[in-house]
Parts: sequence; structure tokens; C-alpha cells
Amino acid sequence: MDGCCEVGKKQNRLEQLEKIRRKAEYVFALAGNPNVGKSTIFNRITGMGVLTANYPGMTVEFNLALTEFEGRKVGIVDLPGTYALGAISEDQLVARRGVLQGRPDLVIVILDANNLARNLYLLLQFMDLGYPVIAALNLVDQAEKAGTHTDQQLLSEILGIPVVATVGIRGDGLDELMHQSLEMALKRDEYTVLPFSYAMDLESRIRKLAQYSKKELAETPYGLSHRALAILLLEQDKELTSLVREMPAGEGLLELSREIGAEIENEHGDRASLVLARERHGIAGSIAAAVQERKTYNKPSLGERLWELTTSFKTGIPILILALATIFVAIFVGGSYLATQFDHFWSSLVADPLARGMTSLFGANAFSQSLNWAVDGLGAVLGIALPFLLVFYIILAFLEDTGYLNSTAFLTDRFMHRLGLHGRAVIPLISAVGCNVPAIMGTRVLSTKRERIIASTLIVLTPCSARIAVIMGGLALFAGWAPALLLFGIIFVVLTAAGLLLNKLLPGESTGLVMEMFPFRQPSPRIILKKTWQRLKDFLYIAAPLIVVGSFVLGFLYETGWIFKLTVVLKPITEWWLGIPAAAGLALIFGFLRKEMALAFLLVLAAHLVPGVMENSPLLDFMTKGQIFTFTLVCAIYLPCVAAFGVLWRELGWKEALSIGASTVLLALVLGGLSHLIQLATH
Amino acid sequence: MLTEKMEEYLEALFKLGGDGGNLNPTRLSEHLNVTAPTVLDMLKRLESDGFIRYHDPGKSADKGRQRGKRNISLTAKGQRAAKALVRRHRLSERFLTDVLGLDWESAHREACRFEHVLSPEVEERLAEMLGNPETCPHGYPIPDEKGNIREPAQEIRQLCDFNANEKGCIARVEEEQPELLHYLATLGLLPDVDIEVKEVAPFGGPLLVKIGDTQYALGREVASKIWTKKRHRRARGGPRWTDAAK
Repeated sequence: MDGCCEVGKKQNRLEQLEKIRRKAEYVFALAGNPNVGKSTIFNRITGMGVLTANYPGMTVEFNLALTEFEGRKVGIVDLPGTYALGAISEDQLVARRGVLQGRPDLVIVILDANNLARNLYLLLQFMDLGYPVIAALNLVDQAEKAGTHTDQQLLSEILGIPVVATVGIRGDGLDELMHQSLEMALKRDEYTVLPFSYAMDLESRIRKLAQYSKKELAETPYGLSHRALAILLLEQDKELTSLVREMPAGEGLLELSREIGAEIENEHGDRASLVLARERHGIAGSIAAAVQERKTYNKPSLGERLWELTTSFKTGIPILILALATIFVAIFVGGSYLATQFDHFWSSLVADPLARGMTSLFGANAFSQSLNWAVDGLGAVLGIALPFLLVFYIILAFLEDTGYLNSTAFLTDRFMHRLGLHGRAVIPLISAVGCNVPAIMGTRVLSTKRERIIASTLIVLTPCSARIAVIMGGLALFAGWAPALLLFGIIFVVLTAAGLLLNKLLPGESTGLVMEMFPFRQPSPRIILKKTWQRLKDFLYIAAPLIVVGSFVLGFLYETGWIFKLTVVLKPITEWWLGIPAAAGLALIFGFLRKEMALAFLLVLAAHLVPGVMENSPLLDFMTKGQIFTFTLVCAIYLPCVAAFGVLWRELGWKEALSIGASTVLLALVLGGLSHLIQLATH
Repeated sequence: MLTEKMEEYLEALFKLGGDGGNLNPTRLSEHLNVTAPTVLDMLKRLESDGFIRYHDPGKSADKGRQRGKRNISLTAKGQRAAKALVRRHRLSERFLTDVLGLDWESAHREACRFEHVLSPEVEERLAEMLGNPETCPHGYPIPDEKGNIREPAQEIRQLCDFNANEKGCIARVEEEQPELLHYLATLGLLPDVDIEVKEVAPFGGPLLVKIGDTQYALGREVASKIWTKKRHRRARGGPRWTDAAK
């Protein structure tokens, strides 16, 4: 889902859900708390490639798939991980809409065996809503290792629903889970899932309200049971309250619900929503206590100790700096090594023979020359962009899978606050390093528009993998690691300044951080490789062909001489203001399609525009190190790419998208000009 | 002489005043679930009997003030009466849970009736029999016969003032943001839930807290809305699901 190409597809999930409904015999919804391995199970069941990570909120939209099991077509809806089905935050709302409007035949609730009490809360809510529920007790292997044993049979008896033990990562128990789900769906009429009853006084009040609803309402919103509606109204659920208000007898029902709510508040001393929440937690807690046995080990596990080290300030900050430095060095060393190795192989074995072959085949004309450009484009893609992307993606997947990013969010909360955000925003911001597109969508976890604008702006300024490839493969590879580090420093300063400024300018306040913290997990090599491949695939299938075709067009423009007509227009900005060759400006413009394209085009242009010299690095004959610096700086700052811009537009609106876009372009030109001026002054 | 209704009002005023919020007719009418005119009538009566201080905006000098913002306060007489009532209520709760073995909710409901009918003599005997308890089953303090409230164990403080490795129990969560309140509740951050602070980031950074098996990072501003008290031993009932499953 990381791909920039996915944007258009995401727009109408509910419509797609309808389509799947029509095709499938049954629709199952997958639900669970964040980070219980829901997406992993979804991938396993459906064979799809949804990205997973060891932090909350990776999936904000729901994912859909049609799969076949035991000869029956089953639609699967993967709801975003959520703690509850309220109407409070976007993740909760999306999950709820997926259930209420999607009307699945069955809800598979995935429970984390390590934290059963908290996880059961959501399951109880689904039972309250009156859906047939089946539970997957996931991560049982981890729980057993940590000394927690769950009596699965007893849990099933108490809940009155099937419970299947699973280990999502290995795929254990998933066949059984699907089998049981299908059985349950087939015999749907025979099953009645009985919701848990609350304390007597609450229960009689809920019943009173439900009876009134049954008597007065012709039908309930979303076809909910009357009991479910009564509970939601007592919880003062915004969406349902407003839906009921528009119904004929709705006002009376709301009136009664207010009365009963006040009664409950009067007796219990808390709002009805809190009293119900407490009840549910109470039930969940006593169930967990009854079915689980735990041995506590005095010695903290390695994961816990690591976790303490990374969240404690004294050790956490040095570790963070060390981690960033390690990432930088690893990308630099690893990427450069791969790039050099590839270059030897490519030029001697592929590029030169191909060029000779093409000239002999088609003769030395504009077409064959343009084909040569395309081959060089491919070389730039595979030889420069790919090595750096590969190394970076592996590191990113590793970090995501361990759960280290959690600690980072904790450590940087204070800093983020200065920028008008809170630690929770660190997560979309960090995922922006992979690709800006899903990161901008991820800002939905933030509760206010203000936060979303600030976060989106900062995300756009965060160098994504493509830009990191440009910086490392362009600047670091040709001009050395120091200028690259300087460039990252400049980006960091720009990011901070932008955040400080927006926090000052935009009215309103930032809200507080409330985030679950997950322990470290042993990263799975299989998952790291899979994620790396999913991300690379996007690059190889979309960016690479684009660059090859683009290079061909570029070559054709050059061979026919038209390119110089284009560069004349750019001259005032590129040559005079930025101090870089006009043709490089052309590469910058194409970078809007994909940032890797800017680098690839620059390399291709250099190879062809510098006459004669083809040895070592033609880029250095085409541009000075200072010019490469200015080029990379502009490329890193200005509007990320067309896909990111599209998502900005959709998520925030055209005004915000255009102003964010325009200001980054302006900022890039100002910084690029400054870089040129400083270089002029020092030489 | 106080009627049962008047006692209910005094008790409500005492409870609402206890958490430092503004006392006004609107809040009172919400809390007691009665209409505003009823509340105003009763307030006038309580005022004329000398239990509260309250001025009607139409008649007095504070004309310009906003309706909902005017404060009601208990007089010394009112305080005494309210505390006596609270004492009877909480003593009754102790009796009902400790001796009769009722669960918390039922005890609360029954105590609402007991509080109005206990004579001073019965009240005294009850306290004696229970060994002069200091808190009710929910952990709230029981005023002594003179109306003094001892709060050695009831030091209430904000979670954001905690140091690493300190433990406490959530007393209440401020109500200004009902959504935050509800969200925290769904995560299990509820009154009467034990909470442990594992780590405090310096320079006003977030807190790492543990509730049950779960760790949460809470920003300072969120933590400042959570008030805590010392942990107390809670009355333990049997597992809830056994009787719920019937």
C-alpha cells in the first residue's frame, strides 16, 4: 500500500466493499486493537501485500480482498486497528463505518494474548452491537514465552463463541480460523451470540431504553439491534445521536436516553459513557483473570531492557543519534559499494555492447541515439537509485519491525510540541521517510485540521526514499559524505523552522499525546525482506519504466535539437539564479513526476552532454561539486512529487495543497539561490 | 428541619463542590436530573433556611453577571448538614459491603436510602461496630462525627507531578474535554484504576505509564488532567461474568 500509485484506488472503499459483497458469498471483517498483527493475518489469508509495522495506526483505511476458502468465495475487510468503536477519532470511525455500513456476516476479532484484558474490550463492544463474533487468540507463542498461559477452551465457554489460537507471522491456526468462521457463517441462523449483561441496574436501564426504541422506532440506524442502539445513545455517541434526532420518534428516544443517562450519572457519580466503559473493562478484566495463568519472571526480558534504554532520556538520546548516524553510514557505504559494483558490470557487459549493437542495427540516427539514452536511463535507475533505495528500505523495514520507532515518538514528543504537534505525529513523519504519500494519509490519526496541516507540511519537507536516493546517489557518491550530511542538516533546520512558524501562525492549540507503547519485538527476516520487496516493486514497476521512457524522450529532444529551445526558457532561473546548467533545470522539472527521475535524468544528460569524456564520473565534468549541491538541495526541498501533491489535495483541500506546494517551490528556489551566492562569495 | 429532598441537594452541592468546579444551578440540575425551575425553587428555600449562599440575579446587585456562572456556596450550617449526610451515606456503604457483602453498585443504591433514615444513635453504633472506618468502599473519606475530614491517605495530585516508578490510583479525570475523557476510558484510564509511572521524559516531555498490562505514553497536558490518589485495597467481589452469563 506504500505505493504512490495506490492513491486513486483508495477513494471509494465503501463502493468497493459493495462490489465485493455482490461477488462474495460471505463477508468477514477482521478487527482488533492496533498492532495485534491484524494486517499480517490479512496478508496471510488473502495473499495480499499490505504493509505491516510494529507501531500503531499503520492502516487507517480499511483493506479489502476477495479470497476463496473451501470452495467458497469470501470477502475480507481488514478494519483499521482500534481500541474501541466510538466516534471519537478517525481510526475508530473508519472501523465502525466498515462494520455498520459493510454489514459483515461475521466479525473476526483478533486478540493479543499478551494483553487479553484490554483486547477483550473491543470484542465485548462487537458483541454489544449484536454481530456474530469469532475470536483469534494471536501471538500465543510470545505470550507463552513470557509466561502467560491462556485456557482457550474456557475463554470460548465464557464468551460463548469459538476461539482459535493463532500465530499470524507463521500462519499457525489460520486455516482453522477460516474453517471455523465459515462454519459459523454457514450456520448463521443457529448461532446467537449473547451479549454480556452489565450490572443489574445498568442492564435494566438499557433494557428500558431498548424497549422504548423497539416500540417507537420503525427501524434503527444501520439496522442495529435496539439494545445496541440504546447502549450507543447512553454513551452519547455523536453520530448515532444525530441520526436518531432526524427520525420521526427520535426526539423522544433521545429525551429518555438523557434522563436515563442522568440517572446513571447520579447513582454512579460518573457519566454513563464512563460507567459503561468501566463495566466493560471490569468484565474484560475478570474474564482475562479467569482464563489466564501467569508466571512472572523477575528478570526483565531483553526486549524490556532495550526498551528502558531507548526511552530513558540519558541513554535514549545518544542511542537515537547513534542510530541516525548508523543509518547514514550504512546507506552511504552499502549504497556506494553496490553502485560501484553494478557500474563495472553494467558498462562493460550491457551498456557498451548494447550501444554498439543498436548503432549497427539502426544506423547512427536520432532514433538509435535516443535508444542509447533510454539504456543510460535504465543504467541510472539500476545502478544509482536502486542500490541506495535497497539499502534504505532494508533499514527502514528493520526499524519498523523492531518497534524502535515507538521509543522515538516518546523521546521527541516535547520537540514535536514546539512544532505544534505531538509524539503521535512522529509516526506519519517517520513513515514519510519511506514515501510521503501514505504518510500524508496517515495524518488522519491526528485529531485536528490544524495538526494535519502542520504534519502534512512537515511530511512534504521530510526527504522520502526517492530524495534520499538522490542525495546519497547524487551528492554523497560524487561529492563526498560531508556535503550530504550538511544537506540533511539544512533540511532538518528548514523542517524545524517551518514547524515553529506554522505553530505560531495557525490559530488553535495542539492536543495531547495518548499513545500505546509496544515492547520491542524480534524482527523477522522474512517480513523485512517482504516489505523491502513490496516497496522496491513499486519503484521498479512504476518509476523505472517512467525513467526509461522519459530518457528516450529526452534523448529524442536532444538529438533533434529541441531541448535547447526548452532550456533557453529555464536559463534565467537555472544558470543565472541557481548557477547550474540549464539542462539540469530540465531534470529538476521532471523530478516532479518522481524524484528519482531528477537524478537519473541528470546522469543521463551528463553522460551525453559532456563531449568525449565518458570515463569515471561524467557528472563531475558536467557540474562542479557545488553545483551538484545546489541541484540536490533544490530537488530535496521543492514539492515532493505529483502523487504526494495529489494526496495533499485530496486530504486537505486544493487551497492548502496549492499553498504548501507553492511555498516549497519558493523555498527551494530561495535556498538554491543562497547556496549559489555563498559559493560565489567564497570562491 | 431538613426534608429528604433538601438533603439530596445539600449532598449534591457538597459532592460537586468537592472537585473544585463551579457550583451553579445548571450543573446542579444536570447532576440531579431535574428542571432548572425546580432547582431554583429549592435553592431559594435552602437559602432562606440558611444552608447556602445564593443570590437571584433579578433582585440583587450582581445583575450583570452571567446566569450560569454564578456560584452557590454552602454556609457553615450547610456544610455541617451535608457532611453529616455524607458520613451516614458512606458508613452505610461500608456496612452494606463489609458486613452484608453487597457489591459496590447495590451498596451505593441502598445507602442512598439509608442516609436519610439513620438516627444519630444508630449512626454512632454503626461507626463503632465498623471500627470507625476512614474511607468508604470506593475510597472516599468518611467525615467524623464533628464533620472533620481526615485525608491522610487521600492526597490528591496530578499525574504530571509524578516521578518515575511512582504508583497511584486514578481519582478522577477532568471533564472539560468529554471526548478525551471517553477516549481515555476506552483505553482503561478510568477512576479507581491503578496506574504506575515508569518513565518521565525531562523538560516537560511525556510520561510513560503502565495500566494493567499496557503501557501508554501520555503528554504532560493530558497527564495534568488526570488526578490521582494513593492506592487503596479494594473490596473484591466474585468474577462478574459468572452471574452475567446467566
